[in-house]
Amino acid sequence: MTAATRVSSATPRRPGADRPGLSTLRLLRLELRHNAMAWLLPVVFVLFWLVTYRKTMAMPPLWNVRAAGLQVGVAADFSVPVTGAAAWMGSREARRRVTDQVTITARSRWARLLVAWAATAIWAMLAYLGCLAVLYGVTAHQATWGGPLWWPAAVAAASVLVFCALGFVVGAFLPSRFTAPLVAIAVFFVLALSTEPIHGGHSVFQVSPIVTGPWDLGAQPGVATFYPFQPDLSVAQVMFLAGLSVALLGVLALPAGSAGRAMRAVAAGCAIAGLLAAGTAVGLTGTGTMDAAGMIDIPALHDAATGRPLEFTPVCSRTVIPVCLNPAYATYLPATASALAPLLSELAGLPGAPARIDQEPVAYKQGADNSVAFLLHEPAVSGTPPAFGLVLPVQLGYPAMTAAQQANQVVTTYGPDLVADVIGDGHGATQAQNAVATGLMIAAGLRRLDTYYVPSAQPASARPLPATPGGPDPGRSPGVAPGTPAYDAAERFAALPPAARHAWLVRNLAALRAGRLTLAQLP
Amino acid sequence: MTGARLARVAGGGAAPGTAHAGAAPVTWVRLVRLYAAGRRVPVAVLAMAACAAGLRIALLWHWDAYGALQLPLIFETAAAASVVATTADPFGEPERVAGRWLPFLRLAATAALTAAAIALLVAAGTGGHLAGGTLDVLRNVAGITGIGLLCAAALGAGLSWTVPTGYLIVAVYALYTQWHPPALSTPWLWPARPPHDLGGGLCAALAFAAGLAVITVRGARQRAGEAD
Amino acid sequence: MNVEITSLTRRFGSVAAVAGVDLRLGPGVFGLLGPNGAGKTSLLRMMATAMPPSSGSLRLLGRDPGGYGPRCEIRRRLGYLPQNPGYYPGFTVAEYVEYFALLKEVPPARIRAAVATAVDRVALGDRKKARLRTLSGGMLRRASIAQAIVNEPDLLLLDEPTAGLDPEQRVAFRALLRDLGQRATVVVSTHLVEDVAAACAQVALMDRGKVVFAGTPESLAAQGDGHGAGDTPLERGYTAVLAQARS
Repeated sequence: MTAATRVSSATPRRPGADRPGLSTLRLLRLELRHNAMAWLLPVVFVLFWLVTYRKTMAMPPLWNVRAAGLQVGVAADFSVPVTGAAAWMGSREARRRVTDQVTITARSRWARLLVAWAATAIWAMLAYLGCLAVLYGVTAHQATWGGPLWWPAAVAAASVLVFCALGFVVGAFLPSRFTAPLVAIAVFFVLALSTEPIHGGHSVFQVSPIVTGPWDLGAQPGVATFYPFQPDLSVAQVMFLAGLSVALLGVLALPAGSAGRAMRAVAAGCAIAGLLAAGTAVGLTGTGTMDAAGMIDIPALHDAATGRPLEFTPVCSRTVIPVCLNPAYATYLPATASALAPLLSELAGLPGAPARIDQEPVAYKQGADNSVAFLLHEPAVSGTPPAFGLVLPVQLGYPAMTAAQQANQVVTTYGPDLVADVIGDGHGATQAQNAVATGLMIAAGLRRLDTYYVPSAQPASARPLPATPGGPDPGRSPGVAPGTPAYDAAERFAALPPAARHAWLVRNLAALRAGRLTLAQLP
Repeated sequence: MTGARLARVAGGGAAPGTAHAGAAPVTWVRLVRLYAAGRRVPVAVLAMAACAAGLRIALLWHWDAYGALQLPLIFETAAAASVVATTADPFGEPERVAGRWLPFLRLAATAALTAAAIALLVAAGTGGHLAGGTLDVLRNVAGITGIGLLCAAALGAGLSWTVPTGYLIVAVYALYTQWHPPALSTPWLWPARPPHDLGGGLCAALAFAAGLAVITVRGARQRAGEAD
Repeated sequence: MNVEITSLTRRFGSVAAVAGVDLRLGPGVFGLLGPNGAGKTSLLRMMATAMPPSSGSLRLLGRDPGGYGPRCEIRRRLGYLPQNPGYYPGFTVAEYVEYFALLKEVPPARIRAAVATAVDRVALGDRKKARLRTLSGGMLRRASIAQAIVNEPDLLLLDEPTAGLDPEQRVAFRALLRDLGQRATVVVSTHLVEDVAAACAQVALMDRGKVVFAGTPESLAAQGDGHGAGDTPLERGYTAVLAQARS
């Protein structure tokens, strides 16, 4: 040691004249360099890729679905490593036996701990932003319409911060080797448990960050495409999570000696304000109900102007009868149009045939229990010019299908209805009508009638979604089973050249619809 | 003092080299007790008991399929983390070089705590609707403890929780995929396999055996400046 | 006076670790001797504002540390080395000292120079970029001394500062103490009487929470003439005073 070396004391020391901001930044830089969260980033990224990214990318490229996947995935994947790392950092002073040394320094304990927390939170947020950038970036590349939904991203960010705050505070107050793992697992447990008490609408537990919409509905591909995304629930969730974070960080200053009296008063005020905000958010969530568009409306937060249908230019196929879809579903258009084309070319130009096929939104209705009803209009040709409405299977939230599978589902679901509307098939129809309708479907390649489709002979006001494939709708094409005279007539009709078949229909459709033709009069 | 007087004072009058044979069992008990106290075993047992109590309370409700399988796994992981936390070595080198009994103490303590964790959770699940039953608890706790022990050897006891808790999330997701295919199914994710699945059982047993062996021989990695 | 203590007491339950101590300390090096459990560390921790007294009066650097504002002001001008200092193993020596400089609110413009000076003064200049986990025990102790002096304290409290230092380093450390004591009040709690003899102008001997001797090292040594047991005059004076206090 060199006793002779000393700093010149010519400049009088004025400890209070420093720039606190610069010192804080330097302290933050030190903390960032030596933060445990940085070392846990690989764990976070592996979890995100394995659990969230792959699953979310398998979902349709719709912003609502991908945003919901991000929100839920981040809450689940980040909860444990972030909470644990924060608890580890919060307990650092006790674990490293520097408590006395840092306690006797001038900077308040609260300020010191906040800097350490901030460093942990910055690393956690950097990891989150990286995951967000990748997921939203790929979605932007795949999606055909719309833009990123930022409110679910904000909820995910707020949940990362609250995990960090919770872990840090628990670690600071309970520095023990058991704290980090147990508090991390406890947070995951509470997160997983938070949705169990949700029953129907009006549930306050929907404020949990892993809830992205009506819990009984889940992330539906049919939501937020025909109507704007409603951020009501997201706003309440951000308020809840932010309030909780502020309250937790304020609690750090409450022990005596953690800060000056004024700062402790500020901290107490922050804690109270944070708790009030969180409580208010919980209360607001309890007033939320599911609207017909499948999103939660919270009256105090709802903007009625956003309840109007979205204006968009549909994407249409170049088939003889155009098939027009919401641009969000444009990826399904080629396959859907291709599957419907044979049938549409049979019907095009016939009296009563639709001028176009339009995709329609799904309406939702909360059931008395935890069920949700999907309300679908009865498929029929209506309007001026006449259009036929359909709903894509993806809008109904079925298990993932390829575009080809979706298209096949559309054809088998709506083909019979479309034909029946034009031919006049249905209840009370003649055998000739049944045979012609069946013949048209055979000609269009729809030989199997026993695949799943939505029953149409039901009231339009409430048509619960059938859970399993059903048989031929008795309301449509009854009595046309193989081996019957009607089926034989259908096969003969289907065997005609397309032009001849079409010409016959043009001439005789009115009589056929009026029920004046018999099986013997069919070609 | 003379050498003889010192010897008499030190030996309490006994001849040098005479063992206190009658005190040996008491000595062993004291050694184990002190070892357990140094490793915070009572706190770990308390934590495991709390996990068991939590599981018991949770089983009072009827859960859907997700909850029935995922919730017990959370408690099992917490119990395993408590076991692994006791591998922290508060004494460092003086203990490591003091004789030959340390590996046996590590082995006995870790195995006994794992068994205790399993027993507590099984007891908590008795009479309740514990999905998977005793085999599930045995396999999950042992396997996740093994992962934690390997972590402790590599990263130190303080950070031994990182991989087991990450494993919990993956395992919960793997269970979820049983209802939402494609299923994430590999014997290394044994919580997602049926209780009687041989592959999952073997993988869990292998993880536990490997972790126990490493901890027995080497102990948890020593991190400089670490307090208890 | 930088330290004014009147009837200072600190209790832990029914045990009075410090039982009515009176001290007045100005600039200079002050030694605090005493057997284990005499209350030296408790007294030092109270002077370091790490622990409040149970009763009595304590004024440091002209201020009462009971209030938050005055306590902060004291802490800016205070340096403290505990008996078992902790550290963050991943920090380098320079980062470790800089960390405490920032916590002690050393003006940002002066931090770099202050850290360099402190590290040089403890002869760790060539190891300033070494991580603490790579240092030997003695080097760690020196790094801890550096964090205590980085803010050029007016009141420096050192608890067993020479533990782990080799004789050469101990000699240099004593010279550092004398240099620091020209301007500041330095209180050194130690078991090593030779440290006291070499560096301290004043010494107090504590036993069972009380100061049983206060004076110069020479006067303490004189207490042992023909009375105490020990290999050096100061040791004999130490044992003689203790024996008298306990009789």
